[in-house]
Amino acid sequence: MHGTPDDHLISRIAAELRRPVPLRPDFDARVMAAVRRDIPSLPVRAWTWLREPRVVAMSPLGGLAMAAGLAGLLVVGAVSREPIADSRKPIADSREPIADSRKPIADGREPIAAASVTFLLSAPQARSVALAGDFNDWDAARVLMRREASGLWTVDVPLTPGRYRYVFVVDGRRFVADPAAPRAAGDDFGTPTSVVTVGGGALRAAGGSL
Amino acid sequence: MVEDGSDGVLVRRVLDGDTEAYSGLVARHRERGLRFAAAMLGDVAEAEEAVQDAFVRAYRSLRICREPDRFGAWFLRILVNRCRTRGAMRRRSERVFVRDEAALEHAAARPAGDHEWREEIDRALARLDALQREAFLLKHVEGLEYEEMARLTGARIPALKMRVKRACDHLRVLLQEVDDARDP
Repeated sequence: MHGTPDDHLISRIAAELRRPVPLRPDFDARVMAAVRRDIPSLPVRAWTWLREPRVVAMSPLGGLAMAAGLAGLLVVGAVSREPIADSRKPIADSREPIADSRKPIADGREPIAAASVTFLLSAPQARSVALAGDFNDWDAARVLMRREASGLWTVDVPLTPGRYRYVFVVDGRRFVADPAAPRAAGDDFGTPTSVVTVGGGALRAAGGSL
Repeated sequence: MVEDGSDGVLVRRVLDGDTEAYSGLVARHRERGLRFAAAMLGDVAEAEEAVQDAFVRAYRSLRICREPDRFGAWFLRILVNRCRTRGAMRRRSERVFVRDEAALEHAAARPAGDHEWREEIDRALARLDALQREAFLLKHVEGLEYEEMARLTGARIPALKMRVKRACDHLRVLLQEVDDARDP
């Protein structure tokens, strides 16, 4: 960046572009208001709980899925036609559909069917596995997976039709994309994430193992 | 006011339930974010929206921030993608750099020549390919190394070097004459 007239020109352009952009005085307040509006609160205690090693129960469904050959992500079928508001509590094999909060799920006229999606990850060495995605505001504390004797971790999540991004959280600190599912394009976060599309009983992706 | 403590400390405070600690991260990283977004999008108001959107998305996903001490780099990655999304929704070349009232007030406090020079730069940036503009800003304005740029954009280093070179070539063609007139 030194020496030639050309380099000097680029340096002058860059210097001009490094000038601070005038900021509205209420910018910080507006950002924080948007943050508070978007996420009422973070379930911290549940997150702390998740990070501790523990024994979890075994799911017969996961065993069946294992026998079927590590099918990692299954849409079992429509389980509800009642859209239910998002919940902050941990779920495991809950039958409450998790709605995509980014779009209106019901206008009082036409209920949206939720399909039960089974997420599977083979991770025999893991002490805990949770599921985080845009369907639960990336809050791993809300979807805890259950370990089968074989080391297969599984959870059923009712999802309304839509496209969802997700990641497995292993031992509370490792973020693992589903080895058998498509990767999300344009990953914002620096952590690889996977994609599942739920719609009309459609099934996307297969399972994987660590 | 920028909060004390590293980014990692603030991130952990937020994850431990202190939502207001996030304002420390906002104060610390807003200026760089706005500078990048304004140059990238060519519109201060839209840049503010993009930065706000990026902060909300970062908050929403804070638990998958792998390196809390490098929140700034992670936030910039999110912002780069927000700007790409917004840029894809409309043709940047059709836009004229729009300054809101705050920007005009700020500009008025500067010498007229500086204001015109900035406008010439904005026009030149608007004529660049978006990926070239992005690479130029990350390299020459934000001062990132190519390795960091590769992590941030997902592009390979040779491709990034080519984008920066082409951006510089175009800017020289577009701005050399203007610069000569300013500084004979």
